[in-house]
Amino acid sequence: MAEPISAPILRRADYRLSEEEQALAEAFSAFFERSCPSERVRAAEPWGFDAALWAELAPMRPVAMGLPESLGGDGAGLVELVLVTEPFGRSVAPVPLVEAAVAARLLAAVATAAPGGPADAWVNQVIDEHKVVTLALQPGGGPQLVPAGAVADAVVGLLGDELVLGVCPAERAARRPRNHGFAPIAWCDLSDPECSFRPLWSGPSARAAFERAVREWKLLMASALIGMAQATLDIGVEHARSRVAFGAPIGSFQAVSHALADVAMAVETGRRLVRKGAWYAAHEPDEDVHRVLMAYRYATQTAMTAATVGVHVLGGVGFTVESDPQLYFRRVKGWTLVAGDPKAALSDIADALFGPVAIAK
Amino acid sequence: MDFGVIDLDEETVAFWAEVRAFCQTHVTKEVLDEEFETGSGFNEGLHKALGARGWILPTWPRQEGGAGATPLQAAILDAELRAAHAPLITLGTTRNVLPAVLRWGTDELKKAVVPGVASGDVRFCLGYTEPDSGSDIAAAKTRAVRDGDEWVIDGQKMFTTGAQNCQYSFLLTRTNPEAPKHKGLTMFLCPLEQAEIRPIRTLGGERTNMVFYDAIRVPDRYRLGPVDQGWMVLLGPLNAEHAMPEDTDSAPPIDQPGGMYGYSAVEGLEVALAWARSADPDGRRPIDDPLVRERLAQAALDIEVATVSTGPAGRVISSEMAIRVAEDLMDLVGPRALLPRGEDAAIGEGWLEYLHRFAQGTATYGGTTDIFRNIIAERFLGLPRQAPRAG
Ligand SMILES: Cc1cc2nc3c(=O)[nH]c(=O)nc-3n(C[C@H](O)[C@H](O)[C@H](O)COP(=O)(O)OP(=O)(O)OC[C@H]3O[C@@H](n4cnc5c(N)ncnc54)[C@H](O)[C@@H]3O)c2cc1C
Repeated sequence: MAEPISAPILRRADYRLSEEEQALAEAFSAFFERSCPSERVRAAEPWGFDAALWAELAPMRPVAMGLPESLGGDGAGLVELVLVTEPFGRSVAPVPLVEAAVAARLLAAVATAAPGGPADAWVNQVIDEHKVVTLALQPGGGPQLVPAGAVADAVVGLLGDELVLGVCPAERAARRPRNHGFAPIAWCDLSDPECSFRPLWSGPSARAAFERAVREWKLLMASALIGMAQATLDIGVEHARSRVAFGAPIGSFQAVSHALADVAMAVETGRRLVRKGAWYAAHEPDEDVHRVLMAYRYATQTAMTAATVGVHVLGGVGFTVESDPQLYFRRVKGWTLVAGDPKAALSDIADALFGPVAIAK
Repeated sequence: MDFGVIDLDEETVAFWAEVRAFCQTHVTKEVLDEEFETGSGFNEGLHKALGARGWILPTWPRQEGGAGATPLQAAILDAELRAAHAPLITLGTTRNVLPAVLRWGTDELKKAVVPGVASGDVRFCLGYTEPDSGSDIAAAKTRAVRDGDEWVIDGQKMFTTGAQNCQYSFLLTRTNPEAPKHKGLTMFLCPLEQAEIRPIRTLGGERTNMVFYDAIRVPDRYRLGPVDQGWMVLLGPLNAEHAMPEDTDSAPPIDQPGGMYGYSAVEGLEVALAWARSADPDGRRPIDDPLVRERLAQAALDIEVATVSTGPAGRVISSEMAIRVAEDLMDLVGPRALLPRGEDAAIGEGWLEYLHRFAQGTATYGGTTDIFRNIIAERFLGLPRQAPRAG
């Protein structure tokens, strides 16, 4: 007779969407497809913000949906949010969706754990007035480029062990540099006295909440990147079917088709990686760190490859400003590099998987 | 979406324990040494022991020679056998062909072979590739000519892996050389007694074979499906081998670490991690070096990507991952990684040395990675037919 074993751990690997999840993804896909054709993306260049589009999007509550019901949100989690940011990325909509959703969740975490501070009022303003709060991704003082900093009503960040929130004077917020990604980034310094940064919460929990928020930003951005990669893939495939050279559609040349096939494989796989990461982050937050970082790293790589393939497959036209792949080419880099070198995720993955480095005595 | 822990009922936990105990008893060091030596992909004692438990066809009912196992239990069985490195290539090809026999074989043929498959006495190999055709499967030239109630089969197959372990080859033949390429083919479950089998050794250590069919005579009852419609008959097993979606959807939804071809890389990373965590006489550990950490993290990322990959994409991603990870982990570990299983100073029983050779083959057999890119381009992206092709 066999020795009894204690029940080993076996997990499901079920990537299917529920009917509600499917409906949510379709609703946002339909919105972005209808409301944000590439002309609208171009029209918002170079500053990368379309206030009218943000207002059109507001009734769908993309930010409020990720907040707890107790605070007036819709109680959705990261699994739902990645389904929203994928179609957002697919259309590279000029709205600060990822930053707004993540910073609002951070404020909600503060308002829940340490009620009575300014976070409470900001949560209300985010829900009722569609105010935009963004996240300074780098902890500490000194000037940094903050995503959506040029259009945000307030910035949250980590200074020392303190979560702080500041409202910069209008002329400060107008300090937006032109940039590669045509993104509404702006300089911000958490220690700048003129921006009147006020403490929201302090201590190890505050730091942990900030770190979680940065990971959530990476997760939602990873899903947006998969959407961006899918969009450039679709454009490339369409072109490869119809463009003829040497008497044959270029899609029959394997230099073209295999490059597209590689992107297709990475997009499909990256989407699964993101969904798995989102599920862990939502259900087993202690297990999620390396998964989210892996999804982010793989998505940045996939989206950048997709964009270069997209530009290349369209030939000379792909390199002109009239081509849509170049919209993605700029934004894949421009939307992500504000979080620092994406390859540095590897050293964070190592910390999460292998434990900290032992310091030699 | 659900990645949660599966609650295992008592029966499944007991089944799992039984599988573990089975592996300890039957996948012995001798079995593993022999496999490393011969690359046979098969061990008769082990195979028959599986048959005795109903584990060759675990989900089949007991009265038909199975074990009445649930799909989850069957997946647990496969995972444990894989982790034990049980040599199971011939089990895999036998399972792969069986549905085609059930679908196309006459009752007489099924009665003659199917009980033996379940018990372990009857095994099948795949006879597609020839000296002049591999990727272009349908270009096969091996002739089958009808002679009364028999067929005369004449030709040569290449890379019929496991032929030396099998009673039958799932054989692709040409019955009508005048018809278009895909329309003159016929499949047989061809008895191998009269065929001549010559071994081929591979870089990965696997043994495979040339098989010569020198005007051998095969009764018509061994034909599978209609004459000249062999392509249709072949597609079932071929699609299953190619991990086409209709097949993978029926698998129980649990992770397969490393994906279709990358499990060996998962173990490669374990070996490299154990190496990286051990200290030199001065107490220094490779794992505390940032460069080493990033390389290991990249391998872990590659493996996780392969783990979540699926279908035809999973075939390519897992294979190319294993090749890359094997290569890089060997470099990382250094000269000692060159020592094979059996050498005193070998690291992790020489696993990386083996993995580096083994992984390369996964990009070729079962349809090369290039062929899979063609499949993805044509069938999934709707791109035009790839490269000019005759026929
Ligand atoms: C260890 C091992 C076990 C095997 N086991 C079996 C078995 O059990 N049964 C069996 O029937 N076969 C088996 N094979 C054979 C295997 O399926 C073939 O080797 C494989 O399909 C490639 O065919 P080929 O060797 O004829 O190469 P070719 O088809 O000649 O290909 C040569 C190269 O050209 C590339 N190529 C070919 N056509 C195209 C195209 N249209 N587009 C782009 N690139 C292309 C290929 O990818 C490859 O790189 C085995 C092979 C090995 C190595």
